[in-house]
Amino acid sequence: MKSFFLLIALLLLASSCTVIKEYEKVYLNDPDMELSARAIERYETNFQVYRESASGANGGKNGGGCGCN
Amino acid sequence: MESTEIDFLASYYSQEGDNASVTGGIGTETLTDIAPTIVVNIPLNADAVLTVDVGISTYTSASSSNLDPFDSSGASEDYEGEESANANPTGSPWIASSGASRKDTWFSARSTYTHSSDDRNTIHSAHLSYASEYDYVSYGFGGSVTKLFNEKNTEIGIQAQVYLDKWMPRYPTELDSYVEAERNLNNGFFKAINIYNQKGLLTSKSNSWDTDFTLIDNKNRNTYSASLSFSQILSKKSHLSLFMDIIQQKGWLANPMQRVYFKDVENYYVGNPDNMTSNIKNDYVSKKNTDVFQLADDIERLPDTRTKIPLGARWNYYVHEQLSLRSYYRFYSDDWGVNSHTLHIETPIKIKEKYTLYPSIRYYNQTAADYFAAYDEHLSSSSFYTSDYDLAAFNAMQYGLGVRYTDLFTENKIWKFGLKNVDIKYVYYQRNIGFVAHLISFGCKWVLD
Repeated sequence: MKSFFLLIALLLLASSCTVIKEYEKVYLNDPDMELSARAIERYETNFQVYRESASGANGGKNGGGCGCN
Repeated sequence: MESTEIDFLASYYSQEGDNASVTGGIGTETLTDIAPTIVVNIPLNADAVLTVDVGISTYTSASSSNLDPFDSSGASEDYEGEESANANPTGSPWIASSGASRKDTWFSARSTYTHSSDDRNTIHSAHLSYASEYDYVSYGFGGSVTKLFNEKNTEIGIQAQVYLDKWMPRYPTELDSYVEAERNLNNGFFKAINIYNQKGLLTSKSNSWDTDFTLIDNKNRNTYSASLSFSQILSKKSHLSLFMDIIQQKGWLANPMQRVYFKDVENYYVGNPDNMTSNIKNDYVSKKNTDVFQLADDIERLPDTRTKIPLGARWNYYVHEQLSLRSYYRFYSDDWGVNSHTLHIETPIKIKEKYTLYPSIRYYNQTAADYFAAYDEHLSSSSFYTSDYDLAAFNAMQYGLGVRYTDLFTENKIWKFGLKNVDIKYVYYQRNIGFVAHLISFGCKWVLD
């Protein structure tokens, strides 16, 4: 847990050094570069939530709403 | 968002395995599921979007069917308080029953309101959700705040979610019937049924199967979660997100349908008398067993609280015009003794102007929950026990291949809607403990002109 927050602190520190302007974000704005699961992946996430004990930390479903693990 | 968008999504899922939890950790896990979903995003004004997400999931499950394994023999058609018409009702953990519990439909609806500030640096959202199936209902709500700063190079979000769920429990038929018969094998369903011991001998009703099974008192199952997310642009071609959730669950966290068998308690069976031999204990677990069923010792029992802490990270890198790298890692830990690592890598490859191929690979592992043991391995003196292999120790590999068609100018139209993209993806999933699953997913997005 400590290392997680240390990583965030380091990234915040690093972020003050590099600023990418809007017009420089053409690669980052590519649909394949989205920092989230694809819409079609919801079904994978659903069956994984049922069939595996771990869930969450993916910006989506993390328990509740079903009789799953 | 400038105009209404509609996503049509659908999937077909199938699985096979030999460790059905409804029959205590052995038996067929054959299951198929079809799940169509529609997601509509409606811009309410320049700053606000309403999202409505409605879906169903219809499954047929051999494991669930064996909640009442005796249906095919007609023994339990009216088992509730009624005497069985068949002295030797047959069933097997390896054969799907024809009872009502063999299929179910899960319905879900979710509505989300999202508002962005004029400078698009602050985003608020709130959502309500509802889900139901035959034995389960869920009400959820939550909200989130996201702040962007550093010229939108950095993003921090917090989210809270609450699910107030409730079981309408369905129990294994022999346990339910035993309680209804006031724990008297000369009453109700069991009155005319022959029960055999593990030596294959017919027992007298006064010296036979017995259980301390009790019905569930607290049927609620509530989930509270708080999530923190952080995203950072690292370079013109690379960015990263970190996620942390803290999830607290309270209530009946076990599944009342799932049987447990104790190794320190004698086994009792019903079924075909010809197969009740001195070797029945070994024969029972064989897939050749088609007409003998073991009476449960109890349903699974698990603690009424669970705290889960998953930590996740996504890192995407734009290699060049044709190739990107998408990666995701998660570490998970909970107070039931489960620790897990997940690694998912996808490499989208643009094969033509409008087509992208995206192969993926995913590795998952978990340690077993403290309360897990295999079929007939639990001790009756334990407070908590389960033979649900979803809580066992295992590794799993998943291989996926998807193809996406994208048309940014939405040239293909139906009425006023233009087709923006189409996705088709196949996934193969395999555990190292004899479980495989296949998933085919389809999705398309339409945009109102």
